[in-house]
Amino acid sequence: MHFHMIIVAVFWFGFVDSRKIRGISSSYKRFFRERKSFLCIDGSKIIPFEQVNDDYCDCEDGSDEPGTSACPQGRFYCTNLGFRPHYIPSSRVNDGICDCCDASDEYNSHAHCQNACWNLGQRERAYVEGQMRTLDEGLQLKQQLIEEGVLLWREKQAQLRELQQVAEDLQTKLEERRSRKQEADRLKEQTPRPPEAGDGRLFRGQNSTVTGTFKLLDSNKDGSITVDEVQAKVALVHDEERVLSEDEAVIKDTHGAPGVGEDPPLKVADREWEATNLKKVEEAYDTVNMEISDLREKLAIDYGPDWEFLFLNSQCYKLKVYEYTYTLCPFNQVTQQSTAGTEVSLGRWGMWEGPPKNQYGRMVYENGEPCWQGGSRSTTVTLTCGTETALRSVKEPSKCQYIMDFQTPVACQPVLKQRGIHSEL
Amino acid sequence: MATFTGSMAPVLVLWLAMSLSGTWAVDKGNFKTCDQSAFCKRQRALKPGDSPYRALLETMELTNTRLTLQLINDNNKVRLLLELYRLQGNMTRVKINELKPLKPRFEVPDVLITEPSTEPLSLLSQDENGVVLSLGTESQRVIISARPFRLDIMEGPEVLMSLNSRGLLAFEHLRMRKDTQAEPEGEKKEEADPANQAEKEEEEKVDGMWEETFKSHSDSKPNGPSAISLDFSLPGVEHVYGIPEHADTLRLKTTDNGDPYRLYNLDVFQYELYNPMALYGAVPVMLAHKAQRTTGIFWLNAAETWVDISSNTAGKTVFGKMLDYVQGSSETPQTDVRWISESGIIDVFIMLGPTPKDVFSQYASLTGTQSFPPLAAVGYHQCRWNYNDQEDVASVDAGFDEHDIPYDYIWLDIEHTDGKRYFTWDSHKFASPKEMLQALEDKKRKMVAIVDPHIKVDSNYKIHNEIRNKGFYIKNKDGGDYEGWCWPGSAGYPDFTRPDMRAWWASMFAYDQYEGTAENLYTWNDMNEPSVFNGPEVTMHKDAVHGAWEHRDVHNLYGLYVQMATAEGQIQRSGGVERPFVLTRAFFAGSQRYGAVWTGDNAAEWDHLKVSIPMCLSLGLVGISFCGADVGGFFKSPSTELLVRWYQTGAYQPFFRAHAHLDTPRREPWLFGPENTALIRDVVRQRYTLLPYWYQQFYHAYRTGEPIMRPLWVEYPQDPATFALDDEFLIGKDLLVHPVTEEGARGVTAYLPGKDQVWFDVHTFQKHNGAQSLYIPVTMSSIPVFQRGGSIIPRKMRVRRSSSCMTHDPYTLYVALNLQRTAEGELYIDDGHTFNYEKKEFIHRRLSFAKNMLSSVNLATDAEFSTGSWIERIVILGASKPSKVTLKTADGQESQLEFDFDASMSVLTLRKPGVNAGLDWNVMLQ
Repeated sequence: MHFHMIIVAVFWFGFVDSRKIRGISSSYKRFFRERKSFLCIDGSKIIPFEQVNDDYCDCEDGSDEPGTSACPQGRFYCTNLGFRPHYIPSSRVNDGICDCCDASDEYNSHAHCQNACWNLGQRERAYVEGQMRTLDEGLQLKQQLIEEGVLLWREKQAQLRELQQVAEDLQTKLEERRSRKQEADRLKEQTPRPPEAGDGRLFRGQNSTVTGTFKLLDSNKDGSITVDEVQAKVALVHDEERVLSEDEAVIKDTHGAPGVGEDPPLKVADREWEATNLKKVEEAYDTVNMEISDLREKLAIDYGPDWEFLFLNSQCYKLKVYEYTYTLCPFNQVTQQSTAGTEVSLGRWGMWEGPPKNQYGRMVYENGEPCWQGGSRSTTVTLTCGTETALRSVKEPSKCQYIMDFQTPVACQPVLKQRGIHSEL
Repeated sequence: MATFTGSMAPVLVLWLAMSLSGTWAVDKGNFKTCDQSAFCKRQRALKPGDSPYRALLETMELTNTRLTLQLINDNNKVRLLLELYRLQGNMTRVKINELKPLKPRFEVPDVLITEPSTEPLSLLSQDENGVVLSLGTESQRVIISARPFRLDIMEGPEVLMSLNSRGLLAFEHLRMRKDTQAEPEGEKKEEADPANQAEKEEEEKVDGMWEETFKSHSDSKPNGPSAISLDFSLPGVEHVYGIPEHADTLRLKTTDNGDPYRLYNLDVFQYELYNPMALYGAVPVMLAHKAQRTTGIFWLNAAETWVDISSNTAGKTVFGKMLDYVQGSSETPQTDVRWISESGIIDVFIMLGPTPKDVFSQYASLTGTQSFPPLAAVGYHQCRWNYNDQEDVASVDAGFDEHDIPYDYIWLDIEHTDGKRYFTWDSHKFASPKEMLQALEDKKRKMVAIVDPHIKVDSNYKIHNEIRNKGFYIKNKDGGDYEGWCWPGSAGYPDFTRPDMRAWWASMFAYDQYEGTAENLYTWNDMNEPSVFNGPEVTMHKDAVHGAWEHRDVHNLYGLYVQMATAEGQIQRSGGVERPFVLTRAFFAGSQRYGAVWTGDNAAEWDHLKVSIPMCLSLGLVGISFCGADVGGFFKSPSTELLVRWYQTGAYQPFFRAHAHLDTPRREPWLFGPENTALIRDVVRQRYTLLPYWYQQFYHAYRTGEPIMRPLWVEYPQDPATFALDDEFLIGKDLLVHPVTEEGARGVTAYLPGKDQVWFDVHTFQKHNGAQSLYIPVTMSSIPVFQRGGSIIPRKMRVRRSSSCMTHDPYTLYVALNLQRTAEGELYIDDGHTFNYEKKEFIHRRLSFAKNMLSSVNLATDAEFSTGSWIERIVILGASKPSKVTLKTADGQESQLEFDFDASMSVLTLRKPGVNAGLDWNVMLQ
């Protein structure tokens, strides 16, 4: 301890005595203590001390010329009092361009550099403060979104489970219907049936494809079917007695088949009626299964460790840049629409592609519309921390390769907070 | 741009159609072969034999400056007028025109810098067979033989060149169209001749005399046939060069088994290598070389031209040649050349050398020398189709600083404009161009924006309206404004052959006319062949009208005029103070006076990298020194290895610009990993350290017309081993470069010329003997470059952000000693950007090392300039260790210099002489 103090003292006196050595930081001052000779910092050569900063490069490592442009590998230390100190390449010393905000790099040039460190420092401090506020707010918002995400995740999981339950039920139903149909077929051979169909209401007038069914089931038109929706409508098929439920009434009203439903339940097993019913159940079963795989697919996406990105799933964000409107629907797709109205796909959800330190910092959308010279359009989305969730910029640096800047609180990282401003005030 | 707007659609569809028409190769079907070009087919059908032309010696008139003589075609009795001039500097000019053409025939204006000075001719002897004239003081004579007509130029007993010795002189005289026109009365009495009947029949037989179609395009040919042709024989010559632009070897090939070399400025989409097809520019100048003499032929004609080359040794194997040599074959090697042009007159300048440098000086005395560019233009240029907006420009600019790579110019291609309306800016993407330019200026950097000569037909576009209102557009054959398709869609083409049009165009570059511009904005003229997407061979119809002349007559001149007017505009905007910088794609003889040329739309392929060397060498030989190829290749995307190798090659070529097609991925130097960034940084920095040498070469080219990038034979004219080399080259006479242009190369074999010569590897200082092929192992960082022993090369070792940042930096002198332990070099310094050098404001010094003393003496005592630059370091290669080094300055002061001696490489480094670079000094080694 004592020993160190002494060394410090010796160094201190060294400083006091030495002339000002340009271009070095305080941590390097010990190498430039004025003596008869100077040892290149890499130890390769000893030169007379007068040759330090004499505008001629003597040391291989450039260490003898910290304050001039003489050494190709050299660097110059801008003290930048009031702002951030930093190194610039020696080639920027006295090149007529102000690089250090304290103007120390242009001590012998025609450039008229003003000391701008204080202003810059203030601007930077204001900026950093702003960033900090944004980060704080962002992190709070992120917390909320994480909580929402967790809830949403659970909800989706529950939804999945319920759908699976429904699917199971439907399967049972299906088997039942099938055996009944077989029964009916057998009966038909014995007793011919009147042609009037029974309850075809649910799907009457709808096209009988799966999508048709899906559209019908998706009553709130949000592009996905909830368990409620399914239950609400599939209930019909559940209703063995085919008593008109409220939902059925709604459907009936919607699709208009008054009177038909009021017929008393038919006692006789009707072959056609059974066939229609079987078809209905089959369709419902397919729909539910489709919904399950869709939901599973969505749930298989990596929404971050806390499901914080989950809320983006069903959202879309737009930005107009020059003559184009860009739309980013996270985890789904990116499109570009011209003022003339043509829409072009710039890619479908591919994967997370952030650097190892920030895995969730970048998303990639691939396999968009093909390009003239081969390949297809793709978009790389960089996520940055902000208090709002919005698309900030879109660029196309190379043909068909788009870059988006997407701001959202969930991209805020607590680590950022530790990175403050180091200034030598 | 991902999708295109309505107005662009047709053009882009066309572009797309063009792109899809071939798989990365030229669609040859879009361009004519000789057989498809009626006049070429007609002329080439004539075979060598007795010429129908006879000299009418009785019509000879000899004045002090010229000889005139009539020639008659014995088949059709049409008379021609031959004019023969002896020009100063060992040249002979031969002009042949119709004696009485039906209407004037086009003679190329604005290419010769002045009417060439003549020297007296004197008659030595004359009889009924011919005339012998003396060509001045040397033992040179011209023999004019009368029947058949032929010209032989002799020196002593040796024939240097013969004209019409193979009887291929042909002159399609202008005539009335017989099927529709009445027989002319009066002066054309010969019309009644029986010979004329034969001609009539011939005319009926031969198609394409009065009309010609190619693909869907028809050429109305209102003037009928008008082609000309002449043959030249070059005894003793086996190597001919020049007639750019072709993507071919430096040494021209014989054309007996294919098409002739074609000179017709064309926008050739994805051009193919190693063939004689026409490209963007044309310089009708050929150099012929043998060990004893270099000569040149300058065929001053701007119409479509084809050049046939044949050789009596071409078919011989090496063994056959050896046999000839051993057995003393009676047949001397000979190259025969034949020029065919579609219209105009025969106006040919025969440059008699005898040395390569004499030919350069002779040609320069006719068409001028390379313009002296601003120093910054010799730096590195970063281009791409396109830097999308101001933000993009700023971020690329910042990228160079971040990666510590210098550059001087960033370029904007067509997308920067408002809908391809040149002289405008896209108001969204380039909303504040002046701010952008100021930001570059703050870094001492510059910008180039493209201005093409096709003008969008749009009544809301000021430039179009003015050109139309002034009647400045080229007209179609029916008298309306000619319109064609190009980038903006329907476009007009200003008639740059008109001086008043050029003056108006130049005035458009004034800062108050061309809004958003500043002093650091320069110009790029592309598509000036001119390119017309829907025209025949993607260019203008030959029957389009330029005042009194057809486009047919002036075609190859158009690009020259565009660049001329643009450069003039840049000069005028600064009040004549600042040097212009204009890049052009199309060019002609004389284009060297207006700026730089690049080799057009090449591709990211190894062969394209290789061919950049002969292409620029060929241009250099005919005066255009400021040449380069798109680094990286324009079409397609280069592998990282190719990109690095291309930077390494481009850094040692005069015009150093990276460029890339819109559809290719980004390729700024830092996008290929830190290792490759470092490799590219290193080579760009090598370019910048050598800027003083490059700049001095440009000054020298401007003064002498000598090429900067030159083939080895120019410096070693008697060494046949150098005659066909085009994978290595010299910069000036002191640096030899053999770029690595093979994929996966482990080494290259470079030929180091010069018996008794030594060469120093500039990276290792290793010394090699001359007159040997040297195998050099290479890695990715290797660029084999050698400094000639006996030379002194100045460098600036402090590489900064741009060349302007290095203005006041000190010099390091690299003194490479030869076997006599001497060396010579020069140092040229001026302000780097104004015309003040014309007012003798520069420093030009000779540096010489002899008898252990290096001294700097003034080469231009009448010039004056002061510099802050000083001599930082002197590196002497091939030195021995001195005991003492003494610097003596002009005021007589002496001081000792510290030095460092590396015995293993014999390199002596003198520390910090510190003396101002503009002063006299010497250093004595003891």
